[in-house]
Parts: sequence; structure tokens; C-alpha cells
Amino acid sequence: MKNNIIILGGGQAGIYAAREIRQNDPKSNIKILGEENLLPYERPPLSKDFLLDKKKAEDLYFHSSDVLKNENIEFENISINKVDFENKKLFAKNDNVYSYDSLLISTGSENKKLTLDNNLKNDIYYLRNLEEAKKIKEIVSNKNKITIIGGGFIGLEIASSLSQLQKKVIVIEIGNQLMGRIIPKQIADLVQNTHIEHGNEIILNKQIEKITKKNDDYEILLNDNSLIETDFIIAGIGSTPTVKLFENTNLKLDNGIVTNQFCETSIKDVYAAGDVSNFYHPFYERNMRLESYQHAQNHGICAGKNIAGVKTEYTSIPWMWSDQFNLNLQLTGICDEYDEIIERGNDINNGVIYFFLKNNKIRGACGVGVIGKVGRDIRITSKLTEKDTIVDKQILSDQNLKLNKLIQK
Amino acid sequence: MSEENWIEVGSTDSIEEEDLIRFDHQDKTFCVYKLTDGFYATDGICTHEAVHLEDGLVMDDEIECPMHQGIFNIKSGEALSPPACEDLKTYPVKVDNDKIFIKID
Ligand SMILES: Cc1cc2nc3c(=O)[nH]c(=O)nc-3n(C[C@H](O)[C@H](O)[C@H](O)COP(=O)(O)OP(=O)(O)OC[C@H]3O[C@@H](n4cnc5c(N)ncnc54)[C@H](O)[C@@H]3O)c2cc1C
Ligand code: FES
Repeated sequence: MKNNIIILGGGQAGIYAAREIRQNDPKSNIKILGEENLLPYERPPLSKDFLLDKKKAEDLYFHSSDVLKNENIEFENISINKVDFENKKLFAKNDNVYSYDSLLISTGSENKKLTLDNNLKNDIYYLRNLEEAKKIKEIVSNKNKITIIGGGFIGLEIASSLSQLQKKVIVIEIGNQLMGRIIPKQIADLVQNTHIEHGNEIILNKQIEKITKKNDDYEILLNDNSLIETDFIIAGIGSTPTVKLFENTNLKLDNGIVTNQFCETSIKDVYAAGDVSNFYHPFYERNMRLESYQHAQNHGICAGKNIAGVKTEYTSIPWMWSDQFNLNLQLTGICDEYDEIIERGNDINNGVIYFFLKNNKIRGACGVGVIGKVGRDIRITSKLTEKDTIVDKQILSDQNLKLNKLIQK
Repeated sequence: MSEENWIEVGSTDSIEEEDLIRFDHQDKTFCVYKLTDGFYATDGICTHEAVHLEDGLVMDDEIECPMHQGIFNIKSGEALSPPACEDLKTYPVKVDNDKIFIKID
């Protein structure tokens, strides 16, 4: 049977799904609809090597147009603004109509915007896509004192890159630690120290009261009445799944599109994957939504299999990283369900890892260290988590004992 | 194939099985591996970003980069998993009198 398969959203999950469908189904029509006029590309370098000019736009594409052509995957640059699930149709702004037999929604997530009462909307910059990254890169070259609102991963990565471009950087964070509560405070503090050592100013526990434009500069008033003068403002205050399109439909939404372990939504023949999906994880026996490179890839692949009729459960243990200055931070599993924390190492030069255990089994871990120092142990931790076995805590806590001993057992 | 191209890396017992050592020669870095069926060598730096693979995880015939989990086949150098997409260079290895040599071109 020849099917029309449409992938709505031409990002990472979308492209991996498309290629996986093709691997399992040589015949169906596969079309990706993407509102960015670019083939699917990697976002992680946008806040890092792209700003630092170590990577160029053309280095970011997952695949060339030749690969898509060879696999007979069509990419169309179009923005969809209406969905009719009952009649299996998508509508574009230009009146184009697309009919599908199976639909994958991979619309990703979008940045939360600051709610400011004055007319500064166009003065505050955000980073989600290549166009925004290009704009930021161009403008900051003429700026010196940059303020970043929000001390999450993306804000801190931008802070690290701009500092390496010799800019004076101030980060304002509303919470009492960087990177939110999913990161152990001790690790957040180590990262904060590194920013400070490189000359960045970190302000915690402060809220923005008001931003005023003064000629080409800005004055930011904080809730303790202190004033910050700055010539460029970037906000990274979190993101939300891109689901506006589905709000008045039957599609079940709850912090994203609710899917089961097979990437299936509440509507037959409609699947969702990547940042936009709040999926059921059979190992953790709960729903979760992740914004990570590895997840977008693996979830896309899993959705692709299921769409092509190869019924496959999504069981990947979550994993993400962040690179700031010479540090590499990694997170695996989940770190918010535990009855015990075990620390491994205490020197950032050799790597520091916190393991989160429940009933003597690892549920997740978070580590940070000079580049290369935590990756292997975090990877082994993912494998140990997956195995769901009781672990020897002595080995976990002693950096002189190799973790792969636990895996061979 | 002149003898001069073979560079001594160290003794065979300097590497544990399913593990690797880093070997620097002139201005280049290599990784030398001991797998269940013998010794192998690759470039020591990941093709994705300039990160040393010496801290990576060796599993079966694969080396996984410690930075972003790019995976390479140790024997062929093939990039198996993104974000790594460029293959890793491999080098011939021989063992002579319990010493490991790699052939650098
Ligand atoms: C700056 C930045 C840095 C990051 N760094 C890291 C990192 O270091 N490590 C890590 O693990 N993860 C990182 N991530 C996260 C990772 O990139 C994302 O999780 C991943 O891209 C999600 O893939 P996706 O396919 O779900 O969504 P996306 O890649 O965002 O793709 C969604 C696409 O759908 C399009 N779309 C949306 N609505 C419509 C519509 N109505 N019609 C047509 N098209 C539409 C969007 O324009 C977009 O192109 C980073 C993200 C950003 C933004
Ligand atoms: S540096 Fe090796 S995978 Fe990125």
C-alpha cells in the first residue's frame, strides 16, 4: 500500500523519522513540511561553536539535499496554520492543502518571551534558530556589555561564548542557583565559579522590574532597586512545546502532545516526537518531555519505525550535555526521583558526578568536568540505569575504581 | 614499506583488554586499543570536535567519544553514530617481542 506520510516540522526529530521510515518502507511518499527555509540542522552549535565562528552555517546540516533526493524524501518550506484531524488535512497560509494517511508532528519547542509592558519587544533577542543566531552574532560584534536574562543552559552557553569573544557579560537569574533545580546545587556552583573566573558576572535571586531604553543603551532595574547598564539584551528563560496549532482540536495536550511509548498520540495515525512530545517512558513508568539532541534523534527514529509499521517501544535512557568554557556537563536518566545521592570525585579537573539512587538502583546522574572527564562514567551510568540492578556504592563513590567493573558483573 | 615507519608504542601489557591508551608522536595523538582479537590504532582526536578519545568508552569494537557520544568502529574507523559523521583514521599495528608498533604514514 502506498501511503502519504507527512512530517510536520523539519527539525532533528523530523529528519531522523523520515530516514527511518524510508529504511523500512521503500514505497510511501514522505514529505517534510518545515517553516524554516533550511534543511534540518543541528541546534546545539548555535549557542557555542557558531557564535564562536568555529562552525559555519553549512556545517550544521544533518544531511545534504542529495541524501534526501536519493532516499526520495521531499522537503517543502511551508508554514502550516490549520489542522483538520478528522479529514486528515493540513492547511498552509498560502492556501495549500496537504492530505496525509499518517502524520508525525515534530514542531519542537519555542522560547518563552519576557512580558514587558513597554515597547521593547524588538530590542530583546532570543536564540532558537539559525536566523536568530546569525543576527545575534552580527550585532554583538559592535556591543561590549551584554546582559543575559535567565541562567539556564542556553543562556549560560551564550554567556560562555560571548565571554570568549572578549565581551563583558552579566547573567541575571531569578532562582537561587544556575540551570534550575534539575542540576544539583553543587554542580551549578562549580559551573558558576567557572563563569566568574572568566570574568562573567552572575546575579542570582533577582527579578527584572523594568527595562528602559537610553539612546542605544538599556537600563535594567532589578527588584532590589539596583540598576544595570547594558548595550545588548538576550533572554533565555525557558521554552514551551510548539502546540498552538492544536489547541482547539481533539489532540490530547498536557505540557506538549501526550504520546504513549510508541510515539502514538490520542488520535489514530497521528504521532509526535522530539521536544513537542510529552511521552510515556516505560522504564520510569511516567510521562516526561525532554529537550535534548539525543532524545530528538532517538525519538524520531522510534516514531519512524512505528509509522512504518515496525512496532517499537521507546526505552532510551535520557541524556543531554552542555558545553561552557572548558567544561562539559552531562545529565543522564532522571535526577528528581531518589532516596540517596552519591558523590564521585570533587575536583572539576578530574570530573565530579552525582548519582541519584532509589532502592539502591541508579535512576540518573549529573556530572561536570573539564572536557572529556565525565563522559565515559556518565555513559556507563546510562547502561547501569537501564540494567536496573543494585549497584556497589563503594565503586560509585571512589574515583580510583573504574565504573565499568560494575557493568561486567 | 620501510621499517622506519613503524613506531614503538609500548609493551603489550600496558593496555588492559577492552581498553585503550593514548600515544603522542611528534605533534600527533593516537589511540591504541586492545580488543579481544588483538591491537588496533586510530587517530586520538574525535572528528566531531577536537576532543581526545583517550577518555572515551571502549565497548566491543567501538569507541564512544566522551563529549557527545559520537561512536566509531575501531577497526574500520567508520563513524557509526551522530553527532560524529566523519570517519576516524586508522593505522596498522603489529606486535613484536611483546612490544606494540603502529605504522604512521
Ligand atoms: C541554542 C540551542 C542549543 C542547544 N544545545 C543543546 C545541547 O548542547 N545539548 C543537547 O542535548 N540539546 C541541545 N539543544 C536541544 C536540541 O537542539 C533540541 O532538543 C532538538 O533540536 C529538538 O528537535 P525537534 O526536532 O524536536 O525540534 P526542532 O529541531 O526545534 O525542529 C522543529 C521544527 O519545526 C518547525 N515548525 C514548528 N511549527 C511549524 C509549523 N506550524 N509549520 C511548519 N514548521 C513548523 C520549526 O520551525 C523547527 O524548524 C539546544 C537547543 C537550542 C535551541
Ligand atoms: S566531540 Fe566527539 S562526538 Fe562531539
